[in-house]
Amino acid sequence: MEKRNKDLDLDAIVAKYRPVVSFRVKKSIGVRTPDWEDVVNEIMINVVEKLKKDEFRGDSSIGTFIYTITSRRIIDFIRKKSKVLKYAPEPNPYLSPQEHVENRERAQWIADSIEKLNPKYKEVLYLYYYQELSRDEVAKKLNISSRRVSERVNYAQKLLRKVMKE
Amino acid sequence: MKKCNLENMIGDYLFDRLDETQKEKFEEHYFNCPQCFEKMEQTDEMITVIKANGSEIFRDVYAPQKTRRSRLESVLAFLTPRQWTMAAVSAALILVVAIGVIPNFIKTTSPEFFINDDLVRGSSIALISPVIDNLDQVPSEFRWQSVGNKTEYKLFIYHQEELLWTTTTMDNFVTLSENIKSLMAPSKKYSWQVKAFSAEGTLIAVSSRVQFCFVTSK
Repeated sequence: MEKRNKDLDLDAIVAKYRPVVSFRVKKSIGVRTPDWEDVVNEIMINVVEKLKKDEFRGDSSIGTFIYTITSRRIIDFIRKKSKVLKYAPEPNPYLSPQEHVENRERAQWIADSIEKLNPKYKEVLYLYYYQELSRDEVAKKLNISSRRVSERVNYAQKLLRKVMKE
Repeated sequence: MKKCNLENMIGDYLFDRLDETQKEKFEEHYFNCPQCFEKMEQTDEMITVIKANGSEIFRDVYAPQKTRRSRLESVLAFLTPRQWTMAAVSAALILVVAIGVIPNFIKTTSPEFFINDDLVRGSSIALISPVIDNLDQVPSEFRWQSVGNKTEYKLFIYHQEELLWTTTTMDNFVTLSENIKSLMAPSKKYSWQVKAFSAEGTLIAVSSRVQFCFVTSK
């Protein structure tokens, strides 16, 4: 067991999970909470410490291990904050964890790609993501099944993903 | 990319539509599934772009030609062809008289507004409150003039150019919950705007975007 923790490449783990932890933290406490970056740092330090102390027993995956540490820290943070603020920060309704797409050109490029989509797919993205209707509501509006809505949303995103990966 | 059966939870997760159990399940999942995490990041980026540039991207979805034609058709169906002929003859007579009497005949065209790139034919919505720039506290209610029955309104609150919050209602006002109010901070620049949609979901009217800011957040 002990060997296992020592064999772990800590740098690789931090590099791999930092974005995941950041996303989760930003989603929970809101990107507008200026402390989010400190919370992420604390979590990553905590993860490394625990791994160094061989606290990862391998009875779950490393992903789940880090997920648990992250969740606990977030609950702590919200509990402390809500004592001070009266209202816990809540990222509602759509505040992207990403806050803004960093590169303006890239954002424009993505926007152009969406604009050029077949109207059939564009319409679904408009209702589902822009108007924030549920799958069933979109289905009703377009007179198609909810499954069809999912298929169209997925297909549109598959096309866009190709663009976004470049 | 491998298909994952939790992948279709991405959208619902990002929009906070999952219940606590599902949410935890999905969160634990993306800590373990790099494919889903990557897809979620891309979806999030796409939604951010859509939210920021939606009115531009979906320009054609906003103002479809269909409604104009159907409005014309309903006007045409108002009278029979014979009645139309009679009406046309009398209208021509009146026109001759009118042109004779009033030399500067004013042409009437349907009103057109350009507001934030949305071309709207129809009326504009008058915003009632808040319309003064400096408020002494967070506004708790947004009110505007109703433009008719069976109209759905979409309220948008912006922080500078970024969409902060949006909601839809059938009333001509929205009362903000404490949660939403807590998103706003004193002495920052906010603005709000209302769009009206017909029962068919067509955009029929848009208000101007009015700025506001407040002093304290008591």
